[in-house]
Amino acid sequence: MIELKNIEKYYANKGVKSYILRHVTTSIKQGEFVSIMGPSGAGKSTLLNILGMLEEPTYGQYEFMGEDVVSLNERKRIELYRNHIGFVFQAYHLIDEMTVAENIEAPLLYKKVPGSERRSRIADMLDRFNMVAKSDLFPNQLSGGQQQLVGIARALVAQPSIILADEPTGNLQSAQALQIMELFKKLNEEEGITIVQVTHSEVNAAYGSRILHLLDGVIKEDVTVSQTV
Amino acid sequence: MFKLNLKIILRSIWKNKISSFINVIGLAIGLAACLMLLIYVMYEWNFDKQSKDSANVHVVMTNVLDDKGKIFVTFNGSTTAFAPLIKREIPEVQYISRMDYGNMGLIANGINGFKKKSKFAESDILKMYDYHFISGDPKTALTDPRSVILTESTAKTLFGTTDVLNKTVKYQEKENLKITGVIQDLPENSSNRFDYLMPWSFYEIIDEGAKDLNWSNYSFITLVSLRPDANLDLVNKKIDELVKRNNKQISQPNFLFPLSKMHLYGKFEEGKSVGGDIEQIWLFTALAIGILLIACINFMNMATAKSEKRAKEVGIKKTIGANRRSLIVQFLAESMVLTLISVIIAIVLIESFIPVFNNLLNIEMSIPYFNSYIWLGLLSVVLLTGLIAGSYPAFYLSSFNPTQSLKRNVEGKGFFSFSLRKVLVIGQFCFTIILIISTLVIYKQIQFIKNKPVGFDVNALVEMPQDGQLIEKFELLKTRLLKSGAVTTMYQSSVNLSHHGSNFTGLEWQGMPQPENKVMFNRVGTTYDYISTNGIKLISGRDFNKKYASDSSAVMVSASAVKVMGLKKPVGEIIKMFDANFTIIGVFDDYIWDSPYQSNSPMVVYFNKVGTGAITMRLNASNNLQQNIETITSITKEINPSYPVEIKFMNSIYAEKLTKEKTLGILSNLFGGLAIFISCLGLFGLISYSAEQRTKEFGIRKVLGASVASLMQLLSLSFIKMILIATVLAAPIAYYIMIKWLDNFEFHTTIPWWIIVLSAVGTIAISLLTVSYKAYRTAKSNPINALKYE
Repeated sequence: MIELKNIEKYYANKGVKSYILRHVTTSIKQGEFVSIMGPSGAGKSTLLNILGMLEEPTYGQYEFMGEDVVSLNERKRIELYRNHIGFVFQAYHLIDEMTVAENIEAPLLYKKVPGSERRSRIADMLDRFNMVAKSDLFPNQLSGGQQQLVGIARALVAQPSIILADEPTGNLQSAQALQIMELFKKLNEEEGITIVQVTHSEVNAAYGSRILHLLDGVIKEDVTVSQTV
Repeated sequence: MFKLNLKIILRSIWKNKISSFINVIGLAIGLAACLMLLIYVMYEWNFDKQSKDSANVHVVMTNVLDDKGKIFVTFNGSTTAFAPLIKREIPEVQYISRMDYGNMGLIANGINGFKKKSKFAESDILKMYDYHFISGDPKTALTDPRSVILTESTAKTLFGTTDVLNKTVKYQEKENLKITGVIQDLPENSSNRFDYLMPWSFYEIIDEGAKDLNWSNYSFITLVSLRPDANLDLVNKKIDELVKRNNKQISQPNFLFPLSKMHLYGKFEEGKSVGGDIEQIWLFTALAIGILLIACINFMNMATAKSEKRAKEVGIKKTIGANRRSLIVQFLAESMVLTLISVIIAIVLIESFIPVFNNLLNIEMSIPYFNSYIWLGLLSVVLLTGLIAGSYPAFYLSSFNPTQSLKRNVEGKGFFSFSLRKVLVIGQFCFTIILIISTLVIYKQIQFIKNKPVGFDVNALVEMPQDGQLIEKFELLKTRLLKSGAVTTMYQSSVNLSHHGSNFTGLEWQGMPQPENKVMFNRVGTTYDYISTNGIKLISGRDFNKKYASDSSAVMVSASAVKVMGLKKPVGEIIKMFDANFTIIGVFDDYIWDSPYQSNSPMVVYFNKVGTGAITMRLNASNNLQQNIETITSITKEINPSYPVEIKFMNSIYAEKLTKEKTLGILSNLFGGLAIFISCLGLFGLISYSAEQRTKEFGIRKVLGASVASLMQLLSLSFIKMILIATVLAAPIAYYIMIKWLDNFEFHTTIPWWIIVLSAVGTIAISLLTVSYKAYRTAKSNPINALKYE
């Protein structure tokens, strides 16, 4: 599904190149659950952003579903967002002026899903995340864990093939974090959704099927997790 | 999608109540002020433009030449012989009508008499003005000499109804006139207004001057309607030749001038129109646009300031599949909704304040709801303001890369938009300070003229028109009033103490430098007690006195007249006017009788028993004022029962001379105040935004030990700097403008340095107050609140 070849990212400052990513080559297959780990400044988030086409690599090749996407135009990129990619953020990034239901509905509106189907999908999501009673609340009326659930519901509602999560549990208590990771695992196993997450936590990483260890912009280790947890 | 967007827009407006309020109210006030001014401008602009063919109607003007053949004054008077001649000889003339200037004349239904504005005109006037006839036939309404056309309100005043066709009214106690038509009231903004209109043929019966076809009496107005295809220059050329051919002795050239331009372009220099009130119209238009601009700048500043906060929203929306177009639409719709709300509030504001405004300016205006231009203008203002205000977030923010905006990289500081915002704020305050300085200078000028001595004691001095029986029974009135004790002294005169016109040139004296005098003198005909009543200062000689029989051919002259004539010992000198000799018996000091802004012509006051028109009385100061007036009223009514008694106080007559400048003063006060208010609202909004943006920085600084004062300084300083720059820019501009304005007046005040300092200090003080409230609140807040969010 994802093919990265020799991805480089650096910033040139007064002729000095400071590298964020170097020679990153890897591929992620449909249905994998990948955790990107590494210390602060290792380039984890940059890698995820490049995967999500939020940033462009300075150099290298990136194919998403067999298509070269390094210099994709905005219109096509938005098409990919609408149909294939769901984002989950550490700071949830819900829209404050929208209710829970409206936040979940927003991607469907942009995707121009007809009204009746929108309603049924929202109802489905609310049901699945036990949020029916909260559908009319605003984000600031929810706890962090609940907000992240809404964030995930929003990412899922458009039925993406891949979810990119940037430290999805970074702002949560451990019990809530556990719940989110269980959810990811279930989505991965039961629905076959590809998941790529950035995390600091060994525990979280253990939920996935594969771990990419990043250090100073270079993949140091690429390990497959034995499913014993 | 649209519904949800609208819902979210309304929610975010509600969530940011304060900034929305500042936004909407600021813009609404700005819009209201702008529209109000524009309605006023339209009112002035439409002067004499109501009738269908108003563009073809011209008024005959006369150039008055001095002895060197140079035009020194142009006025709208013409002679009686002019109209018949050009009607016969010039084919381009379609309709022509002679009129008088209009008078206050008594019109009565039985014993119910009222003094109303009368007008005499030839029947062609009904073809030039498309008066709306409620009853009567415009074709025949002015055919019979003894007929009259009433306006609707005159008919209602006299009869209580408009159903008065063929009834009879009495004019000036003497003549019975048949009502041949009732027309709708004339608009306020018309130069030829009347309450009742009578035929010229009737005027010829009752007035010698109107009947006599001559080329010397310029006491009439002639309106000429040209065919639509006529060339005005050509017609004027023909008129010039025609008049010269027919009128060999006196050659005061006539020309036609569009009536619809008279009101706004009525100032003539050397026979050419050089503007007039149009300058005021431009001034008000500029003021209207300026105020709207201030409000729009606020709106845009707030919208752009807030939009930086919304960069995050843009980022989120992009990652869930929003494209640029949908974001642009959303931001534009949002600012349009706000603008629309402002417009609605603005209309409510105008509706509630227009009566006050009308009252202040003494005019009749209303929102012309049925005027499509107003709606078109309003719509374009809404669209334009909404577009400009919304375009920054719409086009700029939507272009961002989502990671950038999510990381909040879109900071305001050092950013293009921020320096643009600074420029806008400086511009805003520049305009405001100019308005404040102008207001102060106008106020000072009005005070200067008000405090300038008029040359006599205006208090306890009253006047009334000398109508009907008061002309013949003046001596009786005088005896009775003096006896009653309400009046200490009084006199009759040909014109009021404060009058306009009554100028003449044919004065001769001994030792004249030229054989023919062209200097305009002003004349007042009166009998006894002139000086003793009005209290004008006598420099030498004496007032008219019954003891001297020779006083029937005596004059008093003003100090400036003595100067013009160059007389060393004026008393005893003999001057000649109207082919009669008069001896100078007294010299009085100049006083203000016409415009208080310039020196008036030299004056001669001559003894003339038939010079009647006004009665001036000095009230007895030892009595109650109310009582005096009541006594005068009852005695006058008894002697002259058919006329209403109209007593006017001299001090209010003199106060009225300042009306135009007072209007300007009121307007600049009002709109200057609004401008300050809107600007400060904007400043408050901006500083709130800036404080919010720097919350974290402030938290850190506080943790590091910064004092409240230093934080306040940090926040306020940049704003205060902007206002200082605005002051430095505005002061010379305002100074220049006001010097130009003051140059319009011969008597004018100066612009002292303290006015500029005062307005600068005042503006800075007000804005400091605005800024420091917010700055203090921010600086005082607990640092942990600021640092928690990250």
